[in-house]
Amino acid sequence: MTAQTLPAAPPDDISLRPVPWRRMTGIIWRQHRFALIGEVVVLGAAALALWLVGLSLHHEYAAALACRPVGSQACAETYLTFSGSFAFLANGGILLPLPVLIGAFVGGPLLAREMETGTFRYAWTQGFGRRRWALAKLVALAVAVTVPAVLFSLELAWYYQPYFTPGNASLGLTEMTPFFPALFDLHGVVFAAWTLAAFAIGGLAGMLIRRVVPAIAATMAVYVGLAFAAGAFLRAHYLAPLVTSSSINLPNSAWILSQWWTKGGTTVSPGALNTAINNAFTALNPTVNGPGQKYAAYTGMLQYLTEHGYTYWTRYQPGSRYWPFQWIESGWLLALSAACIAVTVWLVRRRAA
Amino acid sequence: MTALSMSAAHQGNVNPRPVPWRRMAGIIWRQHRFALAGVAVLLGALALYLWLAGSAMHHAYAVAAACHPASSDDCQNQVIDFNTAYAPTAQTVGVLLMAVPMLIGAFVGASVLGRELETGTFRYAWTQGFGRRRWTLAKLVPLAVIVTVAAGLFSLLFSWYYQPLFTDGDSIPLDPKLFGVRGVAYAAWTLAAFAVGASAGLLIRRVVPAIAVTLAFCVALTFAAGLYLRPHYETPVLGRDLASAPVSAWVLNGWWTRGGTMVSQAAMNQVEYPLFQRAMTATVPKNVNSDDIKFYKGSANTRVQDYLYRHGYAKWTSYQPGSRFWPFQWIEGGWLLALSVLLIAATVWLVGRRAV
Repeated sequence: MTAQTLPAAPPDDISLRPVPWRRMTGIIWRQHRFALIGEVVVLGAAALALWLVGLSLHHEYAAALACRPVGSQACAETYLTFSGSFAFLANGGILLPLPVLIGAFVGGPLLAREMETGTFRYAWTQGFGRRRWALAKLVALAVAVTVPAVLFSLELAWYYQPYFTPGNASLGLTEMTPFFPALFDLHGVVFAAWTLAAFAIGGLAGMLIRRVVPAIAATMAVYVGLAFAAGAFLRAHYLAPLVTSSSINLPNSAWILSQWWTKGGTTVSPGALNTAINNAFTALNPTVNGPGQKYAAYTGMLQYLTEHGYTYWTRYQPGSRYWPFQWIESGWLLALSAACIAVTVWLVRRRAA
Repeated sequence: MTALSMSAAHQGNVNPRPVPWRRMAGIIWRQHRFALAGVAVLLGALALYLWLAGSAMHHAYAVAAACHPASSDDCQNQVIDFNTAYAPTAQTVGVLLMAVPMLIGAFVGASVLGRELETGTFRYAWTQGFGRRRWTLAKLVPLAVIVTVAAGLFSLLFSWYYQPLFTDGDSIPLDPKLFGVRGVAYAAWTLAAFAVGASAGLLIRRVVPAIAVTLAFCVALTFAAGLYLRPHYETPVLGRDLASAPVSAWVLNGWWTRGGTMVSQAAMNQVEYPLFQRAMTATVPKNVNSDDIKFYKGSANTRVQDYLYRHGYAKWTSYQPGSRFWPFQWIEGGWLLALSVLLIAATVWLVGRRAV
């Protein structure tokens, strides 16, 4: 009876049923557990440190805001305490390498290790299929590196919140534009997008170079070039910048791209402007002199110069464009990552095992 | 006859003569050519940039410096224009270059032993006639010398590149952001990172984790050195008042004392604020526009300070004078060299002890 039922089934189904996708999870975990654990440890330690530091930063910020009467000496002290706290973190520079480190160390070895050690000959000839094998690993790990990065960037957004609150500057507190170059990469969705892009570049570099360490190095080099190009050349042009001549009234949230003085239609050099400021200072204030006081009087000087035919121009991106810019940058990074992953999978399929 | 003379030669010389050191040169090159080529490409590309940008900067500075008389407004404006145009980029370049020693150390240093242990080739390499300790030493020392010399030459180029901004007083000699990139420190940091990488490779026995650990360790060491060690290489000079410190000084700290005891900043603010209010009332003429009051803050502050000095307060500043640049360079270079030698020695010793 068994013999009779068996032959009836196979005719439609000569090839084996493909191995289900979920069977890859165990293999992915076993091959990449150290990289993933390393990522969680690094981000976890950074998150813990940032949380402890952030609690005290937020506490100081709350104290500064709650201080009454505004303008008293006691309040000035609370402002100083807030502005001086953890200043080495305030510009975000030391957190910037995190995405590339995660991406290069997880993405670089992904295919390169199999190629370098030769295990790809075994792995790719299994019933699962080499293209599905590569796709399953790339996609699952892409999600695995992106999700912690998203969570970490939520904490970063919380940490840096006090620095961006409108109205800080009127109290004498630090108020930065959300476009501040190093921070733009950290406190929105682009942190996760850069991490994903670094991972995808790593995967492709590994497939092209086929050796782990050179692939990691190449990923870092490409990423640094890309991040530099994005920050220095691309980001300012996602939307056409605005130009205004009422530079003094710009809110602090505006990202100032360039500023220049003109008089009678021609641009004034910084040096010539210095002469004009010196003259303005003497005119405004014949009795006091010295460089420190000159600086303090700067805004008064702006007004004086404006009244004497000088115009102060600013080219800027308004703070309200922060989220559009985040989505634009994340969008092209996501497209780039998808393209890198697609090319990698295509290369895997093409290559003779 | 051959048999006779052979046995005669061997009598005093039971062990074969050790393989000469120079025979390792080819092996080192073949095993590490890609890493060394990578270092050459990285430093070469950066050097090309420094040379091009530096030529432009030197040319611009020569124009500004040739202006006569130097004290005239016009000439000073030219120097200001020069600083505005070149200083921000040059400083950023200096900060970014501090990552290069760590990268060289991690990628070259960690693979020296890490790769042999990971792939298992150490079983073959260490059992050759050359001897495993000599093998390790012969690989570590030439590679250390190569990366150190390359970094030293590169930092000479950086010093040349940045020179105009020191000459015109834009940056102080001990500028914390640039200290590690100049003098002997850059070569010493590269050597130390290489030594850290080599020992990490031996201890972890896998290349990629060793690279990651080396990077983490070097970042931590760089921060620790800049924040906690360097300010204390020599006892800071104490000066009365900020103005007593020369312009080139690296100012570390400022505080007030009264009658020999330190006054906290908070207490000082309590004293200063009412004095400042009184001074402003005394300084600002009655008919002044409220927008212009800020112009009088400077002279009011001077009055407050004079008052405080007359009443037993003293303002102190601790700083490191700019003339200590070279002593500090040798101190930092010295301890980094000692650390590197120690790490390499420990690595060679551990290689000898480890069972194959």
